[in-house]
Amino acid sequence: MNASHELDLDTGEAFTGRPTRALRRARMADNLVTGLMWAAALLLVVVLLAVVISLLAAGLPTWSIPFLFSAGTFLNPGILPQIWVSFYTLILTMVVVVPIGTGASIYLSEYAGPGRVTSVIRFSVEALASVPSIVYGVFGSIVFLTNLQLGYSLLSGALTLALLNLPLMVRVGEEAIRSVPNSYREGSQALAASKWETIRKVVLPSAMPGLLTAIVLTSGRIIGETAPLILTMGTTISPNARYSLNPLATGETLAVQIWAIKSVGMPGVPRAQDVANGAAAVMLFIVLAINVLVAVFNSRLQKRLQGGNLPPRAGSSKRGGG
Amino acid sequence: MSDKDFELKAVHGQGIAGPGRGPGAREGHSEMPPSEIEAREFNFYYGAFHALADINLAVPRHRVTALIGPSGCGKSTFLRSINRMHDQTPGARSTGELRFGNEDINKTSDLTALRQRIGMIFQRPNPFPMSIYDNVAYGMRLESQRTPKAEVKERVEKALRSAFLWDEVRDKLRHSGLALSGGQQQRLCIARAIAVQPQVVLMDEPCAALDPIATLAIEDLIHELEKDYTILIVTHNMQQAARVSDYTAFFTTDESRTGQLVEHGPTQTIFTNPRDRRTEDYISGRFG
Repeated sequence: MNASHELDLDTGEAFTGRPTRALRRARMADNLVTGLMWAAALLLVVVLLAVVISLLAAGLPTWSIPFLFSAGTFLNPGILPQIWVSFYTLILTMVVVVPIGTGASIYLSEYAGPGRVTSVIRFSVEALASVPSIVYGVFGSIVFLTNLQLGYSLLSGALTLALLNLPLMVRVGEEAIRSVPNSYREGSQALAASKWETIRKVVLPSAMPGLLTAIVLTSGRIIGETAPLILTMGTTISPNARYSLNPLATGETLAVQIWAIKSVGMPGVPRAQDVANGAAAVMLFIVLAINVLVAVFNSRLQKRLQGGNLPPRAGSSKRGGG
Repeated sequence: MSDKDFELKAVHGQGIAGPGRGPGAREGHSEMPPSEIEAREFNFYYGAFHALADINLAVPRHRVTALIGPSGCGKSTFLRSINRMHDQTPGARSTGELRFGNEDINKTSDLTALRQRIGMIFQRPNPFPMSIYDNVAYGMRLESQRTPKAEVKERVEKALRSAFLWDEVRDKLRHSGLALSGGQQQRLCIARAIAVQPQVVLMDEPCAALDPIATLAIEDLIHELEKDYTILIVTHNMQQAARVSDYTAFFTTDESRTGQLVEHGPTQTIFTNPRDRRTEDYISGRFG
């Protein structure tokens, strides 16, 4: 290491060949902090690996064709009905969350001026985002089950999950739309585009990667949510309503099934714990798969939009060259 | 102050000697052509801040007019009011007249029609994150300017040719506009602006983010565009103003930071024989 020599020369101090005490101390502090941050980052990787490895070790042995792709038998249950319910719930919820959430994001980032109404909306979003999910479950059971008479059903569950996820979708979506450089909006307006045309043709496509991130985050939560679903969707799938498209049927998602097995058990089924472990590994797989799919899609989209370059950020002075 | 007299004279092209050519400009027109845009007692405010006071300025048709002056003198504010880019700015308002043809830009209700006829190029190249072709076709695909497909294709090529970009991008029209270099991006933005066939092109320091070579390419382009378009260009670069413009308007600020027009005339006159001391100081680098 000859950094100390250069530094001495740079600062014009007498060249002694040895770093000064202050310099040594500064360098030690620097190394210490760098090391700590590196360790913190490494810890995250270790945790992820631990989760993946332990779940796979516990769950993979259970995996089999009948386990993954059928309802199985009483003694050897399969989880396809639960997988079906999970995805169907995901879709039902997204049908509500994506349009409303995107609409609210657009309103907050593009239309809402400073003022009372905006602050009320913003406060509501923040407040809703911090409400615990079980509270949404209780709310859903009051409104959807009792008031609207929807009963324990996929629809009640999906609507409850929609309420739960809207604030997250709005916050991340608004952030994504705000990060679109203002120069795009100006450029579009200067070409005589209306505000809505500007949003539709320039702003939303540019915000798409961020909006997709919002969708992934909410998807993960929908796949994994249990508490509100137990109160609104139920914990059983009626054998004659398997793979049903009827939104008024009761249902049980993978996550709820795991909870049910681990807390209540499956009377008379000795392999119950294996089923729960296998289902947990499947859930992990689904969530990782959604992440990877969207990442791949996003990088393709980025390439098509930006031609490999990063989008210009307001205030940056990069790419000044000709 | 007798400034106003000078300004009014400038508007009517009186009391200005010389052939009226910028040092680097082509030979030709000597007498001031009819004006395309004319500001009369134009004032602009950002809330309580008086940004521009009593601007009287005629912008001649199919000529390049440079707006110069120290930072914060309101030249960009003036430029941006010509296509109403301030409409979204809270508290922005203006008084006086800004004539464009038979209408007053401040009062026009049809912003779309106005912006179709007055295009704008920004300081930082801002191609949209879409293909080169889609960038140029953008205006023609808007609801208000819907153009038949075959014609779009034709006009995209024409606009790219006019912007001296066609030869460089003809084989990669489907590539993203953001994959181009900074200078090419700015020429793409110019192509995008002229593809909708405006009468006026506003340029807000179009070369500020470009290297000298790319800057020269844009300046050549401006000379070429002058044949078909009225061009207003804001620049901080004196040499650039001298090279590209036929007319120059010098703005400055008073003690309360309100922008005003000091003088306006043929570029050569402003640069070699300015009437106002402040212009002379600015141009010779003693100020600003």
